[in-house]
Amino acid sequence: MPKQTTSLRTYALTRLALAVPMFLLLLTLVFLLMRVAPGDPISAALGGRLSQEELQIRREAAGYDRPLIVQYFEYLGDVATGDFGTTISDNRPVTGMIVQNGAATLELTMVAMLIAVLVGIGIGLVAGRYRDTPVDVVGRLFGIVIYAAPIFFLGFLAQLVFGKWLGWLPTSGRASPVVTFELNTPTNLFIVDALIAGDWAALSDILKHLVMPATTLGLVTGGIFIRLVRVNVLQTLQGDYIEAARARGLSERSVVFRHAFKNALVPVITVMGLQFALLLSGAVLTEQTFNWPGLGSELIRYLDNRDYIAVQGIITFFALVVVGMSLLIDFVNAWVDPRVRY
Amino acid sequence: MAPSRWLRFATLLAALSLVAAACGGDDGGGEQGGGDDGGNETATIIHGTTDPWQSFAPAGSVDLPSWNVIYNVMETLLTIPPGGDTPEPLLAESCDFDDAQTYTCTLRTGVTFHDGSTFDAEDVKFSFDRNIGIADPEGASSLLASLDEVEVVDDATVTFHLNKPDATWPFMLTVATTAIVPSETYSATEIQDDQEVVGTGRYQVAEFRPGEQVVLEAFDGYWGDPPANGRVIVQLFDTSSALKLALEQGEVDIAYRNMTPTEIDDLRSAEGVAVVEGGGTEIRYLVFNLDQEPFNELAVRQAIAMTVDRQAVADNVYNGTVEPLYSMNPVGLAGHIDAFADEYGAAPDLAGAEAVLGDAGISTPVELEVWWTPSHYGDLSADEYAEIQRSLEESGLFTVNLKSTEWDAYTEAAFTGQYPSYQLGWFPDYPDADNYLASFYASDTFLANGYANDTVDELIATEKGSTDPAERIAAFEEIQRIAAQDVPIVPIWQGKQVAAVREGITDVEQTLDASFIFRYWVISKA
Repeated sequence: MPKQTTSLRTYALTRLALAVPMFLLLLTLVFLLMRVAPGDPISAALGGRLSQEELQIRREAAGYDRPLIVQYFEYLGDVATGDFGTTISDNRPVTGMIVQNGAATLELTMVAMLIAVLVGIGIGLVAGRYRDTPVDVVGRLFGIVIYAAPIFFLGFLAQLVFGKWLGWLPTSGRASPVVTFELNTPTNLFIVDALIAGDWAALSDILKHLVMPATTLGLVTGGIFIRLVRVNVLQTLQGDYIEAARARGLSERSVVFRHAFKNALVPVITVMGLQFALLLSGAVLTEQTFNWPGLGSELIRYLDNRDYIAVQGIITFFALVVVGMSLLIDFVNAWVDPRVRY
Repeated sequence: MAPSRWLRFATLLAALSLVAAACGGDDGGGEQGGGDDGGNETATIIHGTTDPWQSFAPAGSVDLPSWNVIYNVMETLLTIPPGGDTPEPLLAESCDFDDAQTYTCTLRTGVTFHDGSTFDAEDVKFSFDRNIGIADPEGASSLLASLDEVEVVDDATVTFHLNKPDATWPFMLTVATTAIVPSETYSATEIQDDQEVVGTGRYQVAEFRPGEQVVLEAFDGYWGDPPANGRVIVQLFDTSSALKLALEQGEVDIAYRNMTPTEIDDLRSAEGVAVVEGGGTEIRYLVFNLDQEPFNELAVRQAIAMTVDRQAVADNVYNGTVEPLYSMNPVGLAGHIDAFADEYGAAPDLAGAEAVLGDAGISTPVELEVWWTPSHYGDLSADEYAEIQRSLEESGLFTVNLKSTEWDAYTEAAFTGQYPSYQLGWFPDYPDADNYLASFYASDTFLANGYANDTVDELIATEKGSTDPAERIAAFEEIQRIAAQDVPIVPIWQGKQVAAVREGITDVEQTLDASFIFRYWVISKA
């Protein structure tokens, strides 16, 4: 209907326009926080080895003594042109770093999300279907415990049991050092690259390295979905159309899985999308625990080095991801539900 | 099948495929513990470390992990041999002082860079000139302050003209910042990309994944003896615990820098792992600000030197991976004497400390403010300074107020004289006592702690200007004796170099010495 289409377009444009100041605010906050904190990359690297005069000369050479407002607008201009600069502490192009390490985070996040969805939806659905039965109790308990457990604790536990005691799985990295070197990585997604190369040995090595971090992250994330899916299934099963379906003689299995389940998933998908964006913007603890070379790990390292350029670049990327994902989810919701309008 | 059934079937098939792939297959190229084991010269050594690299550019780095790669991929005119402490020829066949400010080197011929170009005197001049010209803020061009000009005498001869007598110049020619780069390939004004590193060394960089790993492969055209292995993969780890696990599982062959003393202790009893040790010249010390009370009082400084229990720090905090230090010129360097032990005794002398304070009319307990930093010297700094506090307070002579702050704020305050006393550490640029004693005791030292002694300044000038080893050693020893009496600084400990290696890895201990050059080329894998 023409009126609804116009309204959707207006909604989309308004939503897009609102995202711009949100993004700018995020960038400004990051810029200011990094500059306000004491210290600079020169002092972090050379303090204790050079005199204050020498350090000041080097700060001036690197431009850290310029007015903040000059540095700020220069930074905004660089972001607008897609030039995130070169890291200070190790001279890496920030864009290249985001691509390389972002791919590592993406790979981990996608597999973790798959596990989270399978576990969360599976257990949540069964728990909702068999409400107030032992199955429901176990499912809910599992969801609470797994969500409450610190992710690094689960990670260390997994490393201890499966890595050290049983020796089944490697405990760190995306792949063994030799595979990392020998694998041709056009996409930087190791699974895809191994498939492209037809290197099954490398694929096996990569998947072995991926199992523990992805499962740890996936289980914790799945704990969120278990409760959400269960609640939505319960609510959906109370609907009139469900009663009508039962009255028409449909089997309970058909009622739950063919009718209730799909409708129960609609709000869950929104949460999943946001959760995916949050995971993508740095599963920091998981990456640190498993020495996974993702953006979260790099963020910690560059923060330690007071590397403004690198931190700004990474946070900018995170902001883009979260803002972009939020936009996408809002657009999908508005498209699916005509009531979602300004 | 209905579409939903297709989806379920496809999902199940994909999941089963992934599981099968994960369970099946050998490790192939991904075998744990290294690659080819066919022969020693083709073996792959995997070195795990938590030390990140800054840059593989001689003109653009000052950190040890970067210099480790540079030492293996590039070469300097002189080098410190394994276990040695005196410069020996490398790219130069011979070098000598013509006079106090002129140093001439005859270069080796028949040496080829990795890019096929030939090494000659022009490359030497080019390398030094570009380092000074670029003056990268992250580099070490300040070490070349004595250099006035590099003269190309002929293709195989260079002369270094110094702007002042500098007996340490031969040592300077062993430092990674003076590694020779090809004038035909490198820019004179820009730092070289880490992906395009060229040198004359036994290895060339096969691949560099920033923040993850650097892979070095043996260079077939090397002018000298080939390395004892074919490839080295240096793998970076975020945490020492992850590195330890990887070593135990066989994913790495060597774990070197930086594991905690507890982890090292645990590895000593780990199956298939051996812990090897070697001499190190990393030191930690406590600096006094002589312009602030109570450290303006000599008696207070001397009493602290008599009271601090270095052995307790070494045993209780570092589990024996460090040794008590009694001089700011560490053990292993020429001219070292245990000056503080000679002056005050090796063990704490509480009665002596009490007497010194009493003779000076200083009432006890003396209140001390001591600063340390949690973010630069490792997680054990807190324990170290708690132990120092304990030993000082248990004497009844001192009350210690410990304070800490992050490194950036710490250095700014410490080197502008804001702290009464503070923790510091030192890593050598080159293994010569001058790099320690002149850095700490000269009246214009970066410490800015108010210490100035004309005799010490004269002795520093003497050792810098003399090419007579005996004269230099005599000067070093006298500086240490004076410094032990004046106590502007109290040395605390000297670190050993420790590495953990898998079974079959040999000769790592050969390269653990005062030079901190980690020579991959001597390491073998059975």
